[in-house]
Amino acid sequence: MHPVLLIAIPLLVAFIIPLFKKYGPSIALGALALNTGISIALFSVVYSTGTVHEIIAGFAPPIGIFLAVDSLSALLAMIINLFALINFMAIGKASEYKFSMLYLLAVAGSTGIVITGDIFNMFVFFEITAVASYALVASRKDKKSMEGAIKYMILGSLGSIFILIGIALIYSQLKSLNIYDIASRISTMDAKIKWASVAMLLTGIGVEAEIFPLNGWVPDAYQGASGGVASLLSFGPSKAAIYAIARIMLVIFPLQKVYYLVLTIGVITLLIGELAALKQENVKRMLAYSSIGQMGLITIAIAMGMNEKNAILAIFFLMVSHASSKASLFLLSDSSGMGSAATKYTGIVSVLGIVGMPPFAGFWGKWYLLMAAINGNMLWVIVLIFFSGIVEAAYFARYLHRYYGNEESFSRLTKYSMAVLATMSLIFGLLPLIYEMGLKTLFGMGGV
Amino acid sequence: MIWAMYFAVAVLLTAGLYGVITKKNLMKVFISLSIMETGVNLLLITIGYIPGGTAPIENGNFAKYVDPVPQALVLTAIVIGVSVTALALSLLIMYHSKAGTLEYKEGMKW
Repeated sequence: MHPVLLIAIPLLVAFIIPLFKKYGPSIALGALALNTGISIALFSVVYSTGTVHEIIAGFAPPIGIFLAVDSLSALLAMIINLFALINFMAIGKASEYKFSMLYLLAVAGSTGIVITGDIFNMFVFFEITAVASYALVASRKDKKSMEGAIKYMILGSLGSIFILIGIALIYSQLKSLNIYDIASRISTMDAKIKWASVAMLLTGIGVEAEIFPLNGWVPDAYQGASGGVASLLSFGPSKAAIYAIARIMLVIFPLQKVYYLVLTIGVITLLIGELAALKQENVKRMLAYSSIGQMGLITIAIAMGMNEKNAILAIFFLMVSHASSKASLFLLSDSSGMGSAATKYTGIVSVLGIVGMPPFAGFWGKWYLLMAAINGNMLWVIVLIFFSGIVEAAYFARYLHRYYGNEESFSRLTKYSMAVLATMSLIFGLLPLIYEMGLKTLFGMGGV
Repeated sequence: MIWAMYFAVAVLLTAGLYGVITKKNLMKVFISLSIMETGVNLLLITIGYIPGGTAPIENGNFAKYVDPVPQALVLTAIVIGVSVTALALSLLIMYHSKAGTLEYKEGMKW
């Protein structure tokens, strides 16, 4: 299975859909199912043989464009496509054909970010994802969603400008856009320009990755968007962006100063997100701030992953846990209640998963992060993890108390889809898949 | 010559950033973003520029030519910029019909 199909199929189908307006959602569903199959096949290849490098158009790297699928990007490509399929089953049928187009573009872009090995292609995929997400947030067409989309758009465009400046600075010194080629020659860069490019890239990608202080758009965009779109944003673009930070920081700039910078940003993001979530009245705003907190936790894991193997395992588990639980909670937030067995199950399982009860994926994420903190002798990180866990438990307990048992109005398919989405956290927590993937050499260093 | 180009880049980027931060009118904010985009494109072109170089077109007898990669990047960046601007303008039209104004007064709220 050639990994480029993961990008090519949704892009192609997205532009075919306008020809068959009436069947748009069904065609999109078929494309997503095909993509999910390919991504599972790709995952099994990476699982058995390690990092996959694919050259596009016959030019050898570093000049040609190439795809680099390491263990984390294979996992994320599978998560994004599989969850997109389940999420689309929940919301897609009732939507217009334009919605299906934008949805496919967002999925193609997020998948592209995680499997590309070229820094400029990463920028292009960021833009595809971002443009599709702006339009998706606005797709409810009321004043609230317009405001959210415009705010997202201003910050997102500003972020993409900063990413482009960062790329230009790196190119001006090394004349290369290939991530591994840059990584092998990063020490020859002028120190000032190197730091400027770190700052620019972190600022630019940080907007999409929802890290403090670049996340002003998050609560408004998530509040304005419909539940399905907010769910897509939480497992698609934001996961891809945080993966881009992991790849750029761990592969290109594994330096001690970057470690402190990323660690500090992660700690502040975690504290701000969790504390702000505690005082929210609107469900979607609360979930949005909780997402920011979880992103902070993943950022801490990325920073510690520079020195600790256990923290890299934590990145894997935290990403899967957050994608699964938050996606189902956002779907659930469209209606103010959990009345039937399926929605009650979804609510309880997602909350348990995100708070980190064993044997959910979230538990293993926090467990390995604690292990890394103990190995690194960082007492305050341990305190921080427990503190954030308590705050999370507090506001999610209030959430369940308020909505448990109320009437709701979901179709049967939507209810079952969100229940499946919530169960993913449990499945990935119980299977040894992620653990074994995490132990493989991450990012395939030197394997160009 | 090349310092003038870098100076122009700095002016365009700061002017645009200033506009994005200070303007309340959303139209002006998006105009400022376009100005910043122009600045970045100029930066990329300047990086690839070699004094006295010709266009990077293969015709058999050229010795010195400018770096073609930044030009390809700028071409892509321009296309992306156009699509983002088009989407922004259509969003603004819809926002104006809903809200009756292009001023955005609410700031951050927690």
